[in-house]
Amino acid sequence: MGRSSFRSGTSGRCLYSRDDRGSRARVTTADVAVGPAVAVAGRSPRQLFWMRFKQDRAAIAGGVVILLLIFLAIFGGPLAERITGHQQNEPFPETMLDEFGLPFGPSSEFWFGADAAGRDLFVRTMYGARTSLLVGIVAAGLAVTIGTIIGLLAGYFGRLTDMLLSRGADVMLAVPYFLISIGIVAACSTTKEGCLGGLVQPGLTLVILVIVLFSWPYTARVIRGNTLSLREKEFVEASRSLGAGSTRIIAGDLLPNLVAPIVVLATLLVPQSILFEAALSYLGLGVPPDQASWGQILADASGLYDVAWWLMVFPGAFLVVTTLAFNLLGDGLRDALDVRTDR
Amino acid sequence: MGVQPVRRRVAGAIAAVLGAAALTAALVSGASAGPSDQSARGGTYRVGWESSFGWTNSFDPTGEYLANGFVIYQNLMLRTLVQFNHVAGPAGNIPVPDLATSVPKPTNGGKRYTFTLKNGVRWGPPVNRELTSQDVKYAIERLARPKNGAQYGFYFNIIKGLQAYGDGKAKSISGIKTPTSKKIIFDLTAPAGDFPMRLTMGAAAPIPQEVAKCFEGKPGAYGRYVIASGPYMIEGSEDLDISSCGAMKPISGYDGQTKLTLVRNPNYRASTDSRKARENNPDSFEFIVNTNLDDIYDKVGAGELEDEFATASPKVFAEYSRDASKRKYLKSNSADGTYYLTMNLTQPPFDDVHVRRAMNWVMDKQALRKAWGGPIAGEIAQHILPNPMLLGKLNGFQPFKTPGDKGSVAKARAEMKQSKYANSNGVCKAKECKGVLLISDVRAVDKLTLPVIQAAAAKIGITFTVRTVNGAYPVLQTTSKNVPISNRPRWFKDYADPSTFIDPLFFGGNIIPTGNTNYALVGVKASQAKALGLTGNVNNVPSIDGLADECRAKTGNARVTCYAAIDRVLTTQVAPWVPYMWAYTVNIIGPNVTKWTFDQAAGLTGLAHVAVKG
Repeated sequence: MGRSSFRSGTSGRCLYSRDDRGSRARVTTADVAVGPAVAVAGRSPRQLFWMRFKQDRAAIAGGVVILLLIFLAIFGGPLAERITGHQQNEPFPETMLDEFGLPFGPSSEFWFGADAAGRDLFVRTMYGARTSLLVGIVAAGLAVTIGTIIGLLAGYFGRLTDMLLSRGADVMLAVPYFLISIGIVAACSTTKEGCLGGLVQPGLTLVILVIVLFSWPYTARVIRGNTLSLREKEFVEASRSLGAGSTRIIAGDLLPNLVAPIVVLATLLVPQSILFEAALSYLGLGVPPDQASWGQILADASGLYDVAWWLMVFPGAFLVVTTLAFNLLGDGLRDALDVRTDR
Repeated sequence: MGVQPVRRRVAGAIAAVLGAAALTAALVSGASAGPSDQSARGGTYRVGWESSFGWTNSFDPTGEYLANGFVIYQNLMLRTLVQFNHVAGPAGNIPVPDLATSVPKPTNGGKRYTFTLKNGVRWGPPVNRELTSQDVKYAIERLARPKNGAQYGFYFNIIKGLQAYGDGKAKSISGIKTPTSKKIIFDLTAPAGDFPMRLTMGAAAPIPQEVAKCFEGKPGAYGRYVIASGPYMIEGSEDLDISSCGAMKPISGYDGQTKLTLVRNPNYRASTDSRKARENNPDSFEFIVNTNLDDIYDKVGAGELEDEFATASPKVFAEYSRDASKRKYLKSNSADGTYYLTMNLTQPPFDDVHVRRAMNWVMDKQALRKAWGGPIAGEIAQHILPNPMLLGKLNGFQPFKTPGDKGSVAKARAEMKQSKYANSNGVCKAKECKGVLLISDVRAVDKLTLPVIQAAAAKIGITFTVRTVNGAYPVLQTTSKNVPISNRPRWFKDYADPSTFIDPLFFGGNIIPTGNTNYALVGVKASQAKALGLTGNVNNVPSIDGLADECRAKTGNARVTCYAAIDRVLTTQVAPWVPYMWAYTVNIIGPNVTKWTFDQAAGLTGLAHVAVKG
């Protein structure tokens, strides 16, 4: 946490205790000082955050699951290939498809069964973790970064800058993103070189760019609103009166106070991006077909779910767990970082 | 049904050749015989239509190129000079007279065809008058005028003067004469043994000028006003006010988007037709669009629909094949179409014939067919043209046959060794073999074939950069895209003549910058490269143009033999494709259907012969 953190927060240091219903209620140092003299240890904002966060078991669980998923994303695919001896794109049409081309279900050799092309679903689901998390984390990171910069600039400078940037964000919010996504991906996917002279490559990069293009305005609006409020605070006035320039105020005073919403937005945007990729895949516009992603696998399963349940269940379960984990973590971070928030 | 004295003269130049095959067909055809008496008449035959009508020209016969449109025109609505009997097997590919009294033999060295029209054929309401040779001429003139959106006008360019008329250089088509209201003469620029078959297509069906003139220069607009000459018309046709163009409102039985209803044409006289060609059993037909594929099959199974124009998936095949009580509702017929991978002869590494042959050797055709549903979806293709199209002349010709049709790595590598790209092991290590662009479609089945293709090609060292496009055909059909390989194409005959495969798919002279169907660029010349935007190796590209020119002029058995020879050359010496399946059309029919047959010429249900419980 930056050194300016919480300077604009509530007056007095805040602590939390559990009330009878198990939820946390806000109390102040004045409350805890009543009664016999008790030494109250001073806590840094980081300590306060951790104290609050570690009480949120759901958020902790979410974090642990995310760490496991990241491990899975890095090592899961190769490990699964080594264990099963099946490559992620290796079809087994003779043994894993019946005479009509329908896949066989889970077995001792194919733990998750086969997909509609006769490939090992377990291996593909493990590789899918890599693609889906990569899309989720990179797209969310980029969208939040862009949104934060634009929101900060719009909120801090106001006037013409605000008008231009905010209207730009409004335009992006008004765009029918699925239609435009279809257009962009289609336009850039017909050649090996991509489009814009090779600047935009088809595949994972393009999918991430499309998601970022339509996700940053949400972050920008939230950050702009927070900045509009923060820029009127006394500590900003103080910095300005001491001669600090705009860059110093934005980077040194405003940004640290925006960490809470930024972190929360990022954690919520990760699962949204994974779902966005899944939706694009469902339309056939996601990552290339030889690159497994959960969205891709689910999209391919849509016509067969009633005769091959495993195609939906396994990747679907991973997608649900991932989404839930990020949401729980995001909620926990919001609660722990934002002292004004009661659960 | 009256006896037609001219029926014995059915055999035209091509028909005579096909006669023997027709006898065979009568024995082997999978179509049901069923009742053909008056008890079969009545009821409504309802057809579920997947996703959308998907017309190519809004159901206007001048430009409509969708097979579903063809089958409706030919079986139910529009009569042409020559037609088919709409039955399964080779017999269904034999041209028979429809409006004409006979299928004429050509004269003047194969360049003149003279047709005499039957008496008593009248237009449906509201036109109601006798159909004349002028109506046939008008239809050809209409398709010749570019502003009317004809999509396969190239089939008629062979008519003398048609090109000049289309270009505005002549006021009429010099090669069409109508000396009487019942006689029409076509003069061609060169002999074309398949010319009568070209006249079976919807664009050649007569059109009443008094209605169609209102839609001049408005491609597709006539689709809501199509006037029937066959046994069925669009419901509400009798209410169409043709007193002036302004008074005309679309016929009520076709909303353009979701439903087409056909009812009996009161002016149709069965005595002018052949019951072998059209039985006209149901009182009406309904074609109903449904965006939910599963719902279509559920309704067919429940008897709420009689048939479907939809793509049955492997799970439907399995359901109807495994359940003995349902098996009788599953119909599978050879559709005279080939599914294939196309390789661009100008793009590395496919500019080397040994690479192309190696691809043929290594491909697991059995697995590719499974992506479509297995044996019920089609027969493993061993060469380019489906065997029935060549009357069995290439039966047993299997130049790339491997055990179980699963591909042979050893033979593929032995072929690759001769390639300029491969090392001594028969595996390509050159950069030209790595990340080769493969254009696919987003359709589920296209994606299912990809792993098979990738796994097979990897065995000879070829890897792909796959791009899936929502609607890949426009990309493939643009020559400047220089697509090296694609798994999207499939081709079905336009009519039962091998030229409908050879000319559009392999004739170098037909290569055009956009809308090109010779994806492999067989026969392209270096002089064409700039205009076509080609970037690859355009020198010494193999060509079959000379052979095709020879075949085109032939008729009868010599014609079929000639095209069989081209197939041999293409498959072995050019190898532009990996043909992997000769497709079947699979239909699921409902429990109320009492008679069903397959229309071999159209490749779909023989609507002219179906019957349903009234």
